[in-house]
Amino acid sequence: MYKGTNASAGIGIGKAVIVEEKELVIQRETITDSAAEIQRFKGALETSMEQTRALAEDLATRVGEKEAEILNGHIMLLSDPMMTGEIESMIQKDQVNSEFAIENVCTMYADMFASMGDELMQQRATDMRDIKTRMQKVLMGVESVDIASLPEGTVILAKDLTPSMTAGINPANVTGIVTELGGRTSHSAILARALEIPAVVALGGILEVVKNGDMLVLDGSDGTVLVNPEDAVLAEYQGKRAAFLKEKKELEKYIGKPSITKDGVTVDLVANIGKPEDVDKVLQYDGEGVGLFRTEFLFMDRNAMPTEEEQFEAYRKVAVAMDGKPVIIRTLDIGGDKEIPYMGLEKDENPFLGYRAVRFCLDRKEDVYRPQLRALLRASAFGNIKIMIPLVTCIDEYRAVKALVEEIKAELDEKGMKYNPDVQLGIMVETAAASLIADIFAKEVDFFSIGTNDLTQYTMSVDRGNDKISYLYSTFNPAVLRSIKRIITCAREAGIMVGMCGEAASDPMMIPLLLAFGLNEFSMSPSAILRARKMITEYSTKELQAVADQAMSFATTTEVENYMREFINS
Amino acid sequence: MVKEKVVVKNPSGLHLRPAGILCREAIKYRSSIRFQHFNTTANAKSVLSVLGACIKCGNELEFICEGEDEEEALAAMVQIVRDGLGE
Repeated sequence: MYKGTNASAGIGIGKAVIVEEKELVIQRETITDSAAEIQRFKGALETSMEQTRALAEDLATRVGEKEAEILNGHIMLLSDPMMTGEIESMIQKDQVNSEFAIENVCTMYADMFASMGDELMQQRATDMRDIKTRMQKVLMGVESVDIASLPEGTVILAKDLTPSMTAGINPANVTGIVTELGGRTSHSAILARALEIPAVVALGGILEVVKNGDMLVLDGSDGTVLVNPEDAVLAEYQGKRAAFLKEKKELEKYIGKPSITKDGVTVDLVANIGKPEDVDKVLQYDGEGVGLFRTEFLFMDRNAMPTEEEQFEAYRKVAVAMDGKPVIIRTLDIGGDKEIPYMGLEKDENPFLGYRAVRFCLDRKEDVYRPQLRALLRASAFGNIKIMIPLVTCIDEYRAVKALVEEIKAELDEKGMKYNPDVQLGIMVETAAASLIADIFAKEVDFFSIGTNDLTQYTMSVDRGNDKISYLYSTFNPAVLRSIKRIITCAREAGIMVGMCGEAASDPMMIPLLLAFGLNEFSMSPSAILRARKMITEYSTKELQAVADQAMSFATTTEVENYMREFINS
Repeated sequence: MVKEKVVVKNPSGLHLRPAGILCREAIKYRSSIRFQHFNTTANAKSVLSVLGACIKCGNELEFICEGEDEEEALAAMVQIVRDGLGE
């Protein structure tokens, strides 16, 4: 068994076809008639543009405009006057053949982009090499590998797939893609997802162990690749493949459907994200907003604090992409257990009970919290942003943040900078203290979001990382359930929105209880949304009241879990 | 020769798509159109030159146009950057 990076979900089973681009041998040749050679180059350039245009048009109609964009980019690069000018002047001055001039000029640009170190620029380096090869092939009369006419049931195996190679893939014949290079965000991975072909990338060395015609099985959800598996294993994966396709088809019916119960109660099904790029997934799975945008990624793995400007861009990007749908952004939840060298944090004896999250932020108002809140307020002018404070235990903390927000609003007013004056400020309810005084909080804050992971940990006084006591860690513990029910009831009585952004919000055994308690908003990983919507539409909150009453009557976690398991399977 | 400064507000800076839009506008004019950022000068009519300048969000560019339609060209370039280059 081999393990690569999961790039496009699904099970692919088929015969391996190794796709290799023939290495072009470019030689320097001296020419005598440079004017004729420049004409030869111009002809090849024209043909390359036509080929690319045809590929782009085909891809746009077959897959989508967005996927064809990279090839339209190639057309722009091919028509660049600076590049063509340099190639022509090299042909003339050095009296060399077009192939050699192209090799030199394009490689120079590819190296320049590669050295810039930013991911988008790395892509441009790949693009430059791709257009270089295309022009040289036209000049040398070398045919490209014909990916479009591979036999049915093929798993493509390649070192890497260039955009022009991937563009020709026909999903009717290709059941999977495995590459040695690339990553989740490389062009071939993006296209594999758009074409819904299972793919595993960044699996180094796989070309050394697979021959053409070998039976390959790949699981694009976890990155597994099997070569010539036994019949029993093959049958198991065939079953998995059928189940995957069946469920996918069934869940797709729920795209664009309202999240409404049989008795007409509408809830919001939203997503948890950690990076601005995750928004694509939220939209793909029809999320109705973002229920938790963790901002830690902006602060981790770097040597200095992100600037207000940098944060503003990240928040704005998400707000704009979600196009008016709610986006709840949680302020920095960090400290104690996470190492951020530049923050100058000392190791806490008890990290989870220590100097972290809002406690830390309020202590570091000037260099940490103010820039973040300012960035959030400024970004609120571009969409429906709501601000959420983590780890609140007492109302003083909320009031202090609220005062700071008002102060910043006044500053922005003075400078004439835009923000949404009605931006909502809510709290994560994830400590025992916040739950116990949820009624007090509900009178002042704009919304609640229940963080079940921490709420369970703090309510049960159990470290969820410790295996010896993990049996205590369950959201179905009667104490935790009572806490959740209380938080929801307090919010409903005060008329504020109450959501949940922990793992429990997508748990099939928990959803019926949350519906019965009256939860307004369920936030989960994007890929869980459609399954949750299907479940919600199958229930009636009225009928669920009796189930919830019964579940709440038990004394132990096991009884609750058994009861709920039986209920959802009945 | 005319000059004017403008700030790029595209979230990912001048990557391929906005750079392409910039160039397509620039080639409509007969004047030479360049922009300067610190000590880098780029030819606005070449997408490679624009990409090579590695312009990030928040960077300030100074456009320099020279030729018969320089006034018109400058106004158009500043406007298109201000409008967010299609983003």
